[in-house]
Amino acid sequence: MRRKSLLIFSFLFQFTFLCYGQNKSENQTANTQLSEHFWDRTEFKAGLVGTVFWSNGLSIGAEYLWKQNEKTKTRRGTLRTNTHQFLFNGNLGFVTNFSSKTDTGAYTNFGLTWRRTNKKGKQFHIELNPLGYYRTFLPETYEVIGNEVDKVFLPGRGYYAPSLSVGIGKQRKGKVRSGSYFNINYTMRTPYNSGALPTFSLQYGFRFNFKNKKQ
Amino acid sequence: MKQSFTITIKIMFLAFATLFFNACSNDHTLSNLDATVFVRHKGADMPAYIKGNAEEKLFLITLHGGPGGLGLGFRGNAFKQIEQNLGVVYFDQRGSGLSQGNYSEDEVTIDLMAEDVLALVKVIKRIYGEDSRFFLLGHSWGGALGPATLLQNQSEFLGWINVDGSHNPKDLYFEYIRNFERVAAAQIELGNSVPFWESVYDELDTVDQNLVTLDDFNRLNRLAFDAEAYLNDDGLINNEETGNVNTSDYNVLTFLWNLLKIQSILDDDIIGQLSFTDRLSEISIPSLILWGRYDMVVPEFYAQEAYDNLGSSEKRLVFFERSGHSPIFTEPNLFADEVIQFINQNK
Repeated sequence: MRRKSLLIFSFLFQFTFLCYGQNKSENQTANTQLSEHFWDRTEFKAGLVGTVFWSNGLSIGAEYLWKQNEKTKTRRGTLRTNTHQFLFNGNLGFVTNFSSKTDTGAYTNFGLTWRRTNKKGKQFHIELNPLGYYRTFLPETYEVIGNEVDKVFLPGRGYYAPSLSVGIGKQRKGKVRSGSYFNINYTMRTPYNSGALPTFSLQYGFRFNFKNKKQ
Repeated sequence: MKQSFTITIKIMFLAFATLFFNACSNDHTLSNLDATVFVRHKGADMPAYIKGNAEEKLFLITLHGGPGGLGLGFRGNAFKQIEQNLGVVYFDQRGSGLSQGNYSEDEVTIDLMAEDVLALVKVIKRIYGEDSRFFLLGHSWGGALGPATLLQNQSEFLGWINVDGSHNPKDLYFEYIRNFERVAAAQIELGNSVPFWESVYDELDTVDQNLVTLDDFNRLNRLAFDAEAYLNDDGLINNEETGNVNTSDYNVLTFLWNLLKIQSILDDDIIGQLSFTDRLSEISIPSLILWGRYDMVVPEFYAQEAYDNLGSSEKRLVFFERSGHSPIFTEPNLFADEVIQFINQNK
């Protein structure tokens, strides 16, 4: 029994090692030398955010390119090169429900984005923002303590709100409006009514790089 | 380029300002109220949607079902008529609808939720004046929260309206079994939806007849709603009117999450446990009990029990002969007439 297990482990180890070697021989990764100027590596973004039926609003943000490499691989006999980027990311947004006035909030979040861009400029990205804060803005609010009733100034509640977005986009190389994106976003708000409220939203917007000269 | 960027910034600022202004505006004109205010009480921020004509400073506070229902869920043809006669306060209870807050599960009790309702009364008085007067209406679960509130302080209210209210969830499970047997026998005799009513007997055989479990209770509760659908198909219950709550008023995901959460917290304290039957005699304000004859969710037995046990010298029991659990939507005109008449008699 023990010998049989040993053989299986040995096979799995060799299989993994050989597969890794195979990938190594087909894929090539080259780190890209990035500009040292802050503004060359920074893009701004602005877009619409919301749940379509309920709260909708605007979102602005910025991305700073941290690392970039180009991966070349052969697939079906064709050489393909994809650009992989890691970017620091920050967002600021405001959403409201025009119908009920009970679902208004502003948020900010910060994190890291991984983005893959193919030769045609089509992009896929995952944005993880572990640092997030969501502040609700309530309409007229009164706090009741015993028999005392006081109007609350700037009523609302703050929540820790990390988020995860998955999306696609299109790059416009060398242009001021340097790309567009569409994300599906998951944000958790906690502590919310003795738990953590999951929320989903859609984001659509454009990225801008003001160092690019072409319009 | 620089100019277009400045214009973009200005447009965005204006858009943000408009959104913010829209989110904060309220209309407190007494003859045509349309305001949303939040009540902050013991860790919760709960929205109250105040609508209607409160020229007489008369307000009807509504308590939705669930737990975890929607305050605005009452709105429809019946409440449109009621709103013409007094201000109606639709209230998202703690952990329901779009209520938010920060509190622990252990803090949530029916007594605390009753305190929330009394806090709402204080807020309405603060906004519209100490001379504001109130009626209280509860539907389904609101029929348990209503007595809980009145037993804390009934002097704030001119009258209590119990609509298919569950003042005794402790015994509801066993009444489900008795009621299903009774209605199934009657419907099979009439030849109505016989396969369904026969399947009800099969379903009853699978649940524990002597002990309440949450799973069994939920099965019978779901079966009760199914039964009302069959009674509707057979023409015994009117069709429910539509358009009681706008899709845009509530984020469905938030509502569902709140519903599941608050039910998971409260169910253990309610199902098979909570009963106000023995304390209804302490409620002495005028009371109106409105019930659907074919209510399978809170069977008609509880209408008579509420009527018999309430301590009010002035009380009235009305059955809606073509309704199930929600006469508000199946016989809206009759429902509105009864409520308006009761309010006019006791204001």
